[in-house]
Amino acid sequence: MKAIQRLVLCTALTALAAPVLADETRGDFPGYTLRVKLIGGAQYEPLYAEIPKWEAATGAKVEILSRKNHFELDREIKQDIAAGTLDWCVGSNHTSFAPQYGDIYADLNGLIKPEVIAEFVPLVIQHGTVNGRLVQLPRHSDVSNLFYQKSLYEDPAKQAAFKEKYGYDLAPPETWDQVKDQAIFFAAPPDFYGFQYVGKDEAVTGRFYELLVANGGAMFDDKWNPTFNSPEGVAALQFFVDLYNAKAVPAGVPNYLWDDTGLGFASGTVAMDLDWGGWSAFFNDPANSKVAGNVGLIRAPKGTSGKRTGWSGSHSFSITETCDNKEAAASFVTFLTDYDNQMVEARKGLLPTRSQVWTDAIAEFEASGNTFNAEVMKTFQTSMAEDAFTPPLIPEWIEVSNVLWPKLQAAIVGDMTAQAALDAAAAEAATVMHDAGYN
Amino acid sequence: MIRALRTRRVETAPFLLLTPALITMLFVVAVPLVFSLWASLTPYQLTKPATLWRFIGPENYRRAVTDSAFWIVFGRTILFLTIALNVELLLGLGIALLINRITWGQRTLRTIMMFPMMFSPILVGFQFKFLFNDNIGIVNNALQSLGLTDQAIPWLVDARLAMFSITLAEVWMSTSVFAILLLAGLFAMPRDPLEAAKVDGCNAWQVFRHITLPFLMPFAYIAMAIRSLDVARAYDIVAVMTDGGPAGRTELLWTVIARVGYENAKMGQANAIAFISTLLSIAFTWHFYRKLVAARRYMGGAA
Repeated sequence: MKAIQRLVLCTALTALAAPVLADETRGDFPGYTLRVKLIGGAQYEPLYAEIPKWEAATGAKVEILSRKNHFELDREIKQDIAAGTLDWCVGSNHTSFAPQYGDIYADLNGLIKPEVIAEFVPLVIQHGTVNGRLVQLPRHSDVSNLFYQKSLYEDPAKQAAFKEKYGYDLAPPETWDQVKDQAIFFAAPPDFYGFQYVGKDEAVTGRFYELLVANGGAMFDDKWNPTFNSPEGVAALQFFVDLYNAKAVPAGVPNYLWDDTGLGFASGTVAMDLDWGGWSAFFNDPANSKVAGNVGLIRAPKGTSGKRTGWSGSHSFSITETCDNKEAAASFVTFLTDYDNQMVEARKGLLPTRSQVWTDAIAEFEASGNTFNAEVMKTFQTSMAEDAFTPPLIPEWIEVSNVLWPKLQAAIVGDMTAQAALDAAAAEAATVMHDAGYN
Repeated sequence: MIRALRTRRVETAPFLLLTPALITMLFVVAVPLVFSLWASLTPYQLTKPATLWRFIGPENYRRAVTDSAFWIVFGRTILFLTIALNVELLLGLGIALLINRITWGQRTLRTIMMFPMMFSPILVGFQFKFLFNDNIGIVNNALQSLGLTDQAIPWLVDARLAMFSITLAEVWMSTSVFAILLLAGLFAMPRDPLEAAKVDGCNAWQVFRHITLPFLMPFAYIAMAIRSLDVARAYDIVAVMTDGGPAGRTELLWTVIARVGYENAKMGQANAIAFISTLLSIAFTWHFYRKLVAARRYMGGAA
């Protein structure tokens, strides 16, 4: 009995002592005001509710100067660079955006403890590194996997009809060629579509890029000449064109972005959807989704080279070189991405960047009987570790994307052939790269 | 001597009094204008401030004017402005005439009429984007449910339908600007000419055609001039609904300028395109100003 009492007492004391220990690791910055610019939006806000804990632990105050979406924040940061008003310390960042900002952000290798960095998924840390400098500490990651309606694959009539037409069993697709077959097979426009894709802005560039890589192609050669108009690139673009011509995707896809594809799949009118992990809870929520309880998920299919598509990016935090208290900024960034806060975000469906959080979040979902979320996390954990790759980490990525996506659309809607569209885009991209001094 | 000093003081007084206004104009208008003109002659990139000091002459202008895609966008912008402004004028005139005839609940209707103006253009863009979504949008669902079509009409993909959808969103948001200004014109209209015309035996159409309309035209041209500049707000609507796509089918000067200037961070090139597009604004304003002067002359100073 005494032993139990002692154990309870020890546990209670440990619990009381834990915050004190945590406070010591956060540092002491009484009276200091840390100025930050953060990404805003419903899914990002729960983390910011934790900020008072860091303020209480360190004695510092956090002044949030901006809370905008990433595109508006990007615009504001560029204006700050132009106007020389980088008078803030911490900013939200993204692996796709980071290379544009030159050297305004500090190398975190000297600011964050190596043992802290070692707790993150190595591939994600690698994605946050630009020209050998770790310019951002990843907050949560994004990669896409294939959601599908399970009932379609369990229907014996559909199984038989598919086998007769295509000569192989109807099962969740392992390759993008199978996606094409199945999308055309399931489609019954205008009521039902086999597949859908985002069709404009960097979104369609990213989708094209990942299929190009999965087919064995590349955006550039080693001298930064555009090579996406290769046979692999033409095959990648032809995939989107063929689905559009076959009416296997909604006619409006050239204008779709993430909200359109997410809401489209949730409406129950689409068989398969390559989408981000953040949608999984929405898809399986009966209040929002007609496919709730009928959602299957597999790793993104393989291209012709045998590699899976895995366009990935991470939301992150960076510290400016002009920051007047980099120690406080490093403490704050470490706090926002620590184990407890990543668990907070993982419970909301965001994909963590710390190895231990992946393991513990999956265990927590399994323990609570939430097998769907556990399966979702496992699938995304595998693809983040094995399939994920970023776009080329160069400042010109967005500009190259801006010459490429209108041409991808031109091929999709039939204004140009896939080869002609990619050749035209490659010529424009070559000018962009030449202007930037690459060749 | 004293008289000479006094005269000089009197001569300089107006300039001294104008100084605050001149300084304000200098900083608010002239300096940014000169700055952007200079930037348009450089390879200025927002993320590389040093590029602002490298003079490259008219290279940015040369690239813009030798690009056939630019002139297509330029022409489409003129077409969009022309159609949007004329439709807004016609609808605004109709609404103003109808509200002017109402004797009960007019204030409430005037307030309701202003609701679309209160929405942010971004919100209007999202609203119409989802209305016109081909798969889950309410427009296609309604047309299919009513049996008017069995197709999913690609409202935001087809070149003509996409421009129609964007124009509709713009017209929905801004028609009330015309309606309010024209209603103000109707309120300010003297009753005597109308009564005299009726005594002379004019029918309703003749009264409208020869008295009401000429009186309202100065108000219409003022509204046109304001809206031709203000319609640049349509950038938000276009950016959200199509972002100039697909395949550049709805590209307007403002979507190009914003993409080049901010996304590509090439502010030098964006400024050059903006300066060329300023010619468009000047042309529209000059045209409407001439029309305004002519309409006023026709009315003999009555409006």
